[in-house]
Amino acid sequence: MKKLLSVFRKEMLLLMRDKSGLTMLFVMPTLLIVISSLMQESGWNSLNKNASVKVLFVDNDHDSLGVKIRSGFMNSGSFVVIDSLNRQPLTASMAKEAVKTGDYLIAIVVPQGATKTMRANVRLSVAKTLAGFGIGNAMLLNGVVFRDSVDMTLYFDPTVNRAFKNGLISSVRENYYKIQSEWVFKIFNQEIAAQMPLYKPPKEGFREVLRFREEFPSYREVELIPNSSQHNVPAWTIFAMFFIVIPLTQSLIQEREGGSLFRLLTMPVPYMTLVMGKVMVYLVVCLLQTAAMLMAGIFLLPLFGLPALVVGNNIPALFVITLVTAMASVGYGLMVGTIANTHQQAAAFGSISVIILAAMGGIWVPVYMMPPTMRAFAMLSPLNWAITGFYNIFLRGGNLLQIAPQALKLCLFSLSTVVVTSLVHKYKKGVNS
Amino acid sequence: MSRQPIIEIRELTKIYKGAGEPAINGISLDIFPNEIFGLLGPNGAGKTTTISILCGLFSATKGSVLIDGLDSYTNPEQIKQMIGVVPQDLALYPTLTGRENLTFFGNMYGLRGPALRDRINHYLGVFGLEKHANRLVSKYSGGMKRRVNLIAGLLHDPKIIFLDEPTVGIDVQSRVVILEYLKELNKRGITIIYTSHYMEEAEHLCHRVAIIDRGNIISLGNPADLLAGHPEFKSLEHIFIHLTGKDMRD
Repeated sequence: MKKLLSVFRKEMLLLMRDKSGLTMLFVMPTLLIVISSLMQESGWNSLNKNASVKVLFVDNDHDSLGVKIRSGFMNSGSFVVIDSLNRQPLTASMAKEAVKTGDYLIAIVVPQGATKTMRANVRLSVAKTLAGFGIGNAMLLNGVVFRDSVDMTLYFDPTVNRAFKNGLISSVRENYYKIQSEWVFKIFNQEIAAQMPLYKPPKEGFREVLRFREEFPSYREVELIPNSSQHNVPAWTIFAMFFIVIPLTQSLIQEREGGSLFRLLTMPVPYMTLVMGKVMVYLVVCLLQTAAMLMAGIFLLPLFGLPALVVGNNIPALFVITLVTAMASVGYGLMVGTIANTHQQAAAFGSISVIILAAMGGIWVPVYMMPPTMRAFAMLSPLNWAITGFYNIFLRGGNLLQIAPQALKLCLFSLSTVVVTSLVHKYKKGVNS
Repeated sequence: MSRQPIIEIRELTKIYKGAGEPAINGISLDIFPNEIFGLLGPNGAGKTTTISILCGLFSATKGSVLIDGLDSYTNPEQIKQMIGVVPQDLALYPTLTGRENLTFFGNMYGLRGPALRDRINHYLGVFGLEKHANRLVSKYSGGMKRRVNLIAGLLHDPKIIFLDEPTVGIDVQSRVVILEYLKELNKRGITIIYTSHYMEEAEHLCHRVAIIDRGNIISLGNPADLLAGHPEFKSLEHIFIHLTGKDMRD
């Protein structure tokens, strides 16, 4: 035990004096959390009032439809509507050019006579329907046809995300149908009143009956609203924990190449004691990283105008998921450090493999946004198990029971890395001795 | 010198996996207590392999090693406690101070507290490192590093010390201090097994030397006897070249 503590102390001293290693372990993830949260905030926060996407709006209609679609965008809070460039009223060709050059991402052109066309079509639909009831003069409708549909033109920059594009088109379409419904209701009443003098139109106008209420079901009493902080803090903390592979492998290989391991193996100390001393130090580092990142989430992010991280009350669950993630990351580092023969191999394989596991595991892009094949692969990444565990706590208010599946997977992963490490060590010892 | 050997090597053979030829090929050797024994040979001769087996790092393919009567295969822990190893590489942590390095290695031998502190201070004094004890090893000169490297193998007062090229690449002053201290240790009854490329150094330091090449002992005896047996050569180095050839080794 005393020898183990001596190894622990030595490793701690070595790490404390490795300034670049410490920067990578603590400063890098903090910066990543702040930068990523700032970048993603408007995307995550549905309640965000700071409009960010600029939409070029060309209203050639100059009537109700154009006005309503414009006000629909303005009221959404997600868009800034621009209808002039260089103090010149915007035209369709100017808008197209501005999107083509990449100065703007989106432009919408409401065509001339759009309102008139829509109104005429609505009126005709109503008239034909009433004619079926014998109301109105059916003879007048003979030969009258619907006008061509209204062609609303939307220009998109090629970089615009498909989901965002679909959302925008849906928004325009929603506004259109809303206006159309109002007119159908209004014209129906007008026509019936004209034909049936005793008819009294309802005092209330057309009312929408379908409204949406957003809720995020969780195990907590108080509802949690997902935001960039709730995602980025655990995501980058896990990423940083797994990046421990770099200093850990460097430490292992440096000891091996420098000859210290040779000397240590001639001393009356078991190899496992030497390894466990390292493991303990890096487990402590992972726990400190998590504590530092949570503090950054709670205290630092609000300084940048970002929502503070809500940790919640489930500290035991948080501790368990942090510990098993740390075990998995240290085990992974140990395995890579034992397999790799040189610093270069360890650094290249270690960093690239962590980046791949992170990308695959939903650290950068949520898993639900991935194609089905990638979603299946995501389930294989230990970083995915870890982030799911953290989500269960931070977003769903889960407790120990809710994180148990992920904790178990991470435990088994950590155990398997120890087994592989041991086998590789034995194999290498066999080859060299 | 006592007739009972402290190290008995019998038919020791080591064949590395995948290697065609044995690294050491059935060597037998007795090393006696209080002896300074030189293991000399060109690169790849089998010196480091022999020392590694004696230190318990590798197991032999064939043969046996008894150290102070203990089988190296079945009693590695007791043997590790009685031997001190000074590797050829500067097996130190550059970002720890000299004192921190020595404290750590002392701890690994089970030493701690005031006893360890006193020993460290004693050796730092002997090797002229007291003033530099709290500096990082990365700031040390080559000679200072070699001296710390040596101290780390002596801290626990071993009965047998294995020294692999302990004076390679250092200044004359450091070399003199190290060699003088090795003689002093030997006077205290410590057995020293020593490898070197410096034949003159071995000639003056060692009671006996074994010249080893391609895994075989090709000459064994005390330097004076070897020189007497080859009157045509003026020094051990000439005998060494004569026995091992002028071909450069990898």
